[in-house]
Amino acid sequence: MVRWLFTVNGCATPSSSTGDFTTLTSPSVYGNFSYIRLPKGFKAKIWAKRLAGTAGFMLVINYTTDVTVSQPNWTAVDVEYLASAGSIELDKRRPIVIPFRTGNEAIKFSYSNATANSNICFSVDIEVTDEDE
Amino acid sequence: MSVVDRFGLVNENQYLTLYMPATGTALVFRVVSRVNKGFEVLDYGLLPISSGASLSSYTGTTITAPAAGTLPPYSYTGDIQFPAITGFDNVFDKSDIWHLSIDNRDRLFHVKVFVHPPIIRVDVRIPTGVTQTKFQAGRVVTGIDSATGFSRGFIETVHLPGIVYGYRFGNDTNLNLPVYIRFVYGEYIVEIPKNPELIFNILTKRTPSYWLTLPITYMDPSIQSALRDAYGLSDPWGFKLYREDEKDKAIKEYSNILKNLKV
Repeated sequence: MVRWLFTVNGCATPSSSTGDFTTLTSPSVYGNFSYIRLPKGFKAKIWAKRLAGTAGFMLVINYTTDVTVSQPNWTAVDVEYLASAGSIELDKRRPIVIPFRTGNEAIKFSYSNATANSNICFSVDIEVTDEDE
Repeated sequence: MSVVDRFGLVNENQYLTLYMPATGTALVFRVVSRVNKGFEVLDYGLLPISSGASLSSYTGTTITAPAAGTLPPYSYTGDIQFPAITGFDNVFDKSDIWHLSIDNRDRLFHVKVFVHPPIIRVDVRIPTGVTQTKFQAGRVVTGIDSATGFSRGFIETVHLPGIVYGYRFGNDTNLNLPVYIRFVYGEYIVEIPKNPELIFNILTKRTPSYWLTLPITYMDPSIQSALRDAYGLSDPWGFKLYREDEKDKAIKEYSNILKNLKV
């Protein structure tokens, strides 16, 4: 049984109020990536979120059932909102669970309601597991 | 006293049984001593692949390792041995720290490979280059490049003298994953029990023993040669498993095998 906990970070200085974090990093991963795609049979459990930035910054966790198509259909599965400038850390008692049933699914991270040219950052702790609980 | 310790390694004066599906036979050892008792962990480090190494891809092409020890997305390695790390220059085979000389017939390496991140696929081929995992009477060859025939994050085996094993690793995520290897191992001094009744009792599970199935579904000639040269075995390359009511037949056969043993 596999259980792997890793942290994903993203920062941006957006020119518009909405967009994707396209340069994700992780101490567990070499280089950058823009989304996370896992093998079928696994689940991604997002246990903790940290946001930093200006008031109104919204972190959106998106999920698609097929990232291999030319225009994946992304659905928001979770939104976190920074009510005032600063940072917030949220440790979830129950994780956000994202299943990978075909291996074509993916998770990406977006921002919304960001102030143009302001710095926004987030990090999430993701557990990758093939266990049911 | 239990057969294994907290690492799952066999304690002294306990038995180790290695079952080989290819022949339906087993090798039975008594662990006389563990040379590295109390020092079982070997933090090997990154997977021994260099930056720029060409790897196979699950998409059918080849792909280049972006950094030392890093598996790129949807890639898998060929057979890997673990070269000598600093201070291990005097090993028998500098390209493979687990490769034992035939002359070390009284030694076995019981190796547990912990792979991080644990989502990494891993399999082992005995000998290197020979796929041993199969499905439905051999109709399908499985392994690191298949839907099954591998484990993730962990594999356990016992290295027999004179055989080079090949480990393969695969990454079926979209991430460039640095792969870290930790070994928990036992270097055993072993002997094969000389009492045929004891062997029968071990193989019928009346006497406790640690059982491990070696992934040998095809008895490669190099395995036969190693078993012959190291232990003096011949066909059927070990002790056959018999039913409890076949004790007399088993004892007779085991006695004949024991006459020619070298260890």
